[in-house]
Amino acid sequence: MSLSLGQRLRIRAMTYVAGEPIPFFWPMRAFIHHNPLHGLEHLPFEEAVAQGARLFHCRCQLPRRQYQAYLAAGRIDRDRLQAAVTAFAAGREPIAGIDLQAWLMALLTRIEQPVTATDALAGPAGIAAALAGTRPAPEADIDPTVLAGRLRSTLLGETPVYEAVDALYGTGIGDELDELVIKSCLDFFDEGQSVWGMPLRSRGFFAAWREVASRNVRLFLRGMHIKRILAVDETPEGVIDHVMRTLGVAEQHWSAYFTRELARLHGWAGFIRWRSSARHYHWSQRYPGDLVDLLAVRLTLALALLQERGRRFGVTSAPAVRELIETRTPEAWLRHELHTGRILPDQAQRVEETLALGGARRITAVFGEYVRRQRTREAERQAQSLRLLAGQAGATQALQRLDTGQLEALVRSLREFERREGMLWLRAMEAHAMHRLLSGIQLAPPPPRDKRPFAQALFCIDTRSERIRRHLESVGDYQTFGIAGFFGVPVSFMELGKGSETHLCPVLLTPKNLALEMSVEAPRDLNAVTAMEKALHELKESVLSPFVTVEAIGLLFGFDMIGKTLLPRHYNRWRSQLHEHKPPTHLLIDKLDRDQADSIVRAVQRAVIVKAVEQDFELTAERITDDMVRELREAALGRQPGAPELARTLGLDTAAEQAFIRRLREVYRIDPAFARLQLERLARIGFSLDEQTGFVSQALRSIGLTRDFSRFILLVGHGSTSENNPYESALDCGACGGNHGLVNARVLAQMANKPEVRRRLRARGIDIAEDAWFIPALHNTTTDALELHDLDRLPSSHVVYLDRLRNGLTAASRLCARERLPELQPRRGRQAAQQAPAAAFRETRRNAMDWSQVRPEWGLSRNAYFVIGRRDLTRELALQGRAFLHSYDYRLDPKRRLLENILTGPLVVGQWINMEHYFSTVDNECFGSGSKVYHNVAGRFGVMTGNLSDLRTGLPAQTVLEQGRPYHQPVRLITLIEAPFEHARRAVEDVTAIKHLVRNGWIRLLVIDPGTAAVTLYDDGEWREQTRLTQPPIPEEST
Amino acid sequence: MDAAIYLLAGLFLPLFPLSMAFNLLLRRLRRPAPRTLLLLAWPQIGLALAATAASPPPDWLLYWALLTSALYAFRALTLRELGLWNGFIASSLWALLWLTLARPGAVPPALHGLGLSLPLALLGLLGAGLEQRFGAAYAGLHGGLAQRLPRLSGVLVVVVLAVIAMPLFPPFFTLLTLTLATAAAAPAMALALVAVWLLWSWAAARLLQGLVVGPGDRHGAADLSRTATWAYAAVLGLLAGAGLYLLGGLA
Repeated sequence: MSLSLGQRLRIRAMTYVAGEPIPFFWPMRAFIHHNPLHGLEHLPFEEAVAQGARLFHCRCQLPRRQYQAYLAAGRIDRDRLQAAVTAFAAGREPIAGIDLQAWLMALLTRIEQPVTATDALAGPAGIAAALAGTRPAPEADIDPTVLAGRLRSTLLGETPVYEAVDALYGTGIGDELDELVIKSCLDFFDEGQSVWGMPLRSRGFFAAWREVASRNVRLFLRGMHIKRILAVDETPEGVIDHVMRTLGVAEQHWSAYFTRELARLHGWAGFIRWRSSARHYHWSQRYPGDLVDLLAVRLTLALALLQERGRRFGVTSAPAVRELIETRTPEAWLRHELHTGRILPDQAQRVEETLALGGARRITAVFGEYVRRQRTREAERQAQSLRLLAGQAGATQALQRLDTGQLEALVRSLREFERREGMLWLRAMEAHAMHRLLSGIQLAPPPPRDKRPFAQALFCIDTRSERIRRHLESVGDYQTFGIAGFFGVPVSFMELGKGSETHLCPVLLTPKNLALEMSVEAPRDLNAVTAMEKALHELKESVLSPFVTVEAIGLLFGFDMIGKTLLPRHYNRWRSQLHEHKPPTHLLIDKLDRDQADSIVRAVQRAVIVKAVEQDFELTAERITDDMVRELREAALGRQPGAPELARTLGLDTAAEQAFIRRLREVYRIDPAFARLQLERLARIGFSLDEQTGFVSQALRSIGLTRDFSRFILLVGHGSTSENNPYESALDCGACGGNHGLVNARVLAQMANKPEVRRRLRARGIDIAEDAWFIPALHNTTTDALELHDLDRLPSSHVVYLDRLRNGLTAASRLCARERLPELQPRRGRQAAQQAPAAAFRETRRNAMDWSQVRPEWGLSRNAYFVIGRRDLTRELALQGRAFLHSYDYRLDPKRRLLENILTGPLVVGQWINMEHYFSTVDNECFGSGSKVYHNVAGRFGVMTGNLSDLRTGLPAQTVLEQGRPYHQPVRLITLIEAPFEHARRAVEDVTAIKHLVRNGWIRLLVIDPGTAAVTLYDDGEWREQTRLTQPPIPEEST
Repeated sequence: MDAAIYLLAGLFLPLFPLSMAFNLLLRRLRRPAPRTLLLLAWPQIGLALAATAASPPPDWLLYWALLTSALYAFRALTLRELGLWNGFIASSLWALLWLTLARPGAVPPALHGLGLSLPLALLGLLGAGLEQRFGAAYAGLHGGLAQRLPRLSGVLVVVVLAVIAMPLFPPFFTLLTLTLATAAAAPAMALALVAVWLLWSWAAARLLQGLVVGPGDRHGAADLSRTATWAYAAVLGLLAGAGLYLLGGLA
């Protein structure tokens, strides 16, 4: 069988569409926070969470009892909740004698579990009888066609056939299939963790797997005839087509069917989806694989398993499942009840035995009795719930008086209310959070200053910066600003000693410019400890040597373990002294002109030729003359016929001379084409003067810093340090692609300190004082330490002030640690914090070095707000690390370009972070990654739970939960823009992505107009003025 | 005459298919007290009957007993209902009492019988507790008991381990004594005995997997009270002590 190109493309397109709801999963080396329902962001939030819940089998809102706990703790706006209940009740048909509003409030606030069931068989008459405590009048038997319809909608259509067979026969095919697919993925996508790699990987995922699977004796012995299926077609599209036709799935369901298949292992599917789209990704270039490959592998294994297991029951395809449902409905119903765990517990054994014995008459008899019991039990349960609710609502008598019709209407209203209650809670919780923010907002401008601040510091908008900024402002004359942690400079970075580039910017951007890190010291040899570690690492990696290594030097690791466990701070400090420290470096950020680039290429070519001559002819350095190298280079580039000096020195004949010149071209790549390529690559290095001026100007304008520059302007990037933590990069800067933000700070500082850039900035209206100096710094968010960098470039006139600066930074770090620690370690933290800030600071450093610490810091947990406006708005408000703060002064942005940039980049990143935390909290097992304790690194790019699981995509329990309860309060990102209403509205409307996020309710947007003090909220599809702040609006002259 | 006695005893020291009577009776009894009584008394009746025989049980009877034991152990692998599982494991365990009758040692067979029955009785009580909470003690229906009812789960796991003759508990010493006693005379039979022992472990692992492990909701049914937990722990401690002392040779 061979598919036409059109058919193949159709299957590819279908798979592509099917994969859309699956979120990308980036390798964990650079953890990217993302919205697990990103693929559903085109839908309103309420609809998307309902669809997400169905697709991923997850919960998208907290259970009611958790919301009740929030209500009791005063974190939910009760009035708002009451208003929502009133609005809901008003939209329902009134029931005589029932105060629906009171019932619904009682339901929300006093009943923990849902009171209505979906898909219940019990009718209102049964419930009424159960309420009256009488035997129900014999209701008409349920029409089997109704049950058949329910089964059809559950088990057919887009439901994978093996899921249907599992639900009917308890075959466990789905679990086994997942296991086999995970093993296949681990083999193929491994990035160096395995010692022995899968063969033929360069041919692509499906092709390589096909070769291996066709020879897999284990599968063959189990009766899985993979080879027979794979023989049908060589292409993955052909195999997909064959399997789907064999399974008898109607073509209109294929796309949805594929989505269901991919969603079962959405971590792996998300990784493969991202990988296939990341053209620059090294592993993707070497070993290509995409969702079509994954689907072909999955469907092949699914069909083989179905044929092996389902054969016993004669059900291996969708038509066979349909036939069972339609011709043997009682049996299908009982099977479905038993194997999906819905069965009445006391009937389980009986039903199991009946099904095992078989016989249509016996099964029908048991079915009839079972369904009757089921209806009675459901009616009793429903009556009990209603009684409980009526009791809480103080309406027990009213419940007894309801007739069947009224009872039915009541249950219908309650069911509908319970379906929608999650959104009610969420909005009431958000209302409370908004109120808290607005009540602390200061609109009045600060009193004018008589002198400039001692230092200004630009921090990342990250929520963790809020605390340290507050403390830094409190310890001295410091002014702080918030800006996206990449400081508006998207840069690709090549670190000293590494051959690959790292993109330091939000993943939404692709940097054009490359910054090179260069040592200012001469190259050094590896020191002994580093060399020993390298040797040990290699010993561990090989196949056999670990057996010997453990016996020989295993004890050494024991010392290491004791040191790390008992005295982490002292031991790690001692150990770090043994390592060679990174030498001082500078960044190459200036563009090379043509001559410089030529000169570098020439120098590289000469160095390569010298090495080539040394290696090929074992000629010592003193015998390799400049003339010889020049002649060889010219000859290799085709500018002269030979290299006479080399021939003369070595006595080579013409053939040998020409052979070496050819070798220089072919092996050592000394040829014009490669030289051109090198020139192109060199052209990417650095930024032109215009670009540098543009980036500095944009960064300063976007935060409203265009005058009154201090002597020190700190550019504070952030990063984290922790031990034994695969999620370390999740704690780093999201705006820097999950990396530390220091490099971006160094790049911008270097640009902003350049006299030529400042001269050009002056022409653009930004007059940076002569003595102002930009210093890059790093905020370690785990320890709260603030470390200054590139001080070797600091003018000597500034050194005298350095002590004061350092003291201020240290004080801020310690105070921040003291504030943070009690939340991090309730017992030890409170003790340490009570002693002194220094003790708390020590404790946080211990945390960062403790390899057994599963929660080195809370990271971005509890994020809730995104404030775009002047710092003075929130300066007096302790936001407890819950707010992204982006400085913005609308007066400097008449065309709204700066605001649009903030909305496009930082706000979108903030929304991803917020949604990642939201969903990881509401269902940590499904959207989060569960407990870190059971995590194992997989393939060097992800983690699995245990030794085999889907790739865990979200945040671990230790990041968002505290003792099993949410630490992060899951609300949508409450964004506040300080600007005239029209200004803000038009900016939002002009950025399509943000417009959709706001309109679909993924972001709660507030605009505060500084002129009128009016606060406007986008809610339910329209802008509504919420309130007017009582503070005086900013006077006209200030605006 | 002896054959008739042994056949009658085969009802109580279960020999398939006579063993079906016990399992049917156990299924009929829904209340915990009569179930416990049945589990404690049933093999003792068999042992008392067998003691009236003049000659030791013949070899064919021993093979029959071993086959019965293996059959029930194997069948227990697929059972999900705890009460039924308990009955089948009881049949499998008690069938081995025939070996103690054939090769009597220092410990009287009645004590071996009691040692085997006591953990079964405890399991019966725990099963009743589960039925009371969930309507049935059926593996795979609820799951995640360890998270929902940690105390009950802990006790359940230890009791199941005691039932399947894990060390320190009386059944372990009974099985050890039997295996050692049989190994010299009939190595094949000893090997079969060990295989049956292994089957119990497998069956127990499957049962516990369906009941105890997995995600579970912390709210809902009430856990075992602290007092009850201590009581179970004390009984289990006593059992272990008694096993060591009376059956383990410390006496």
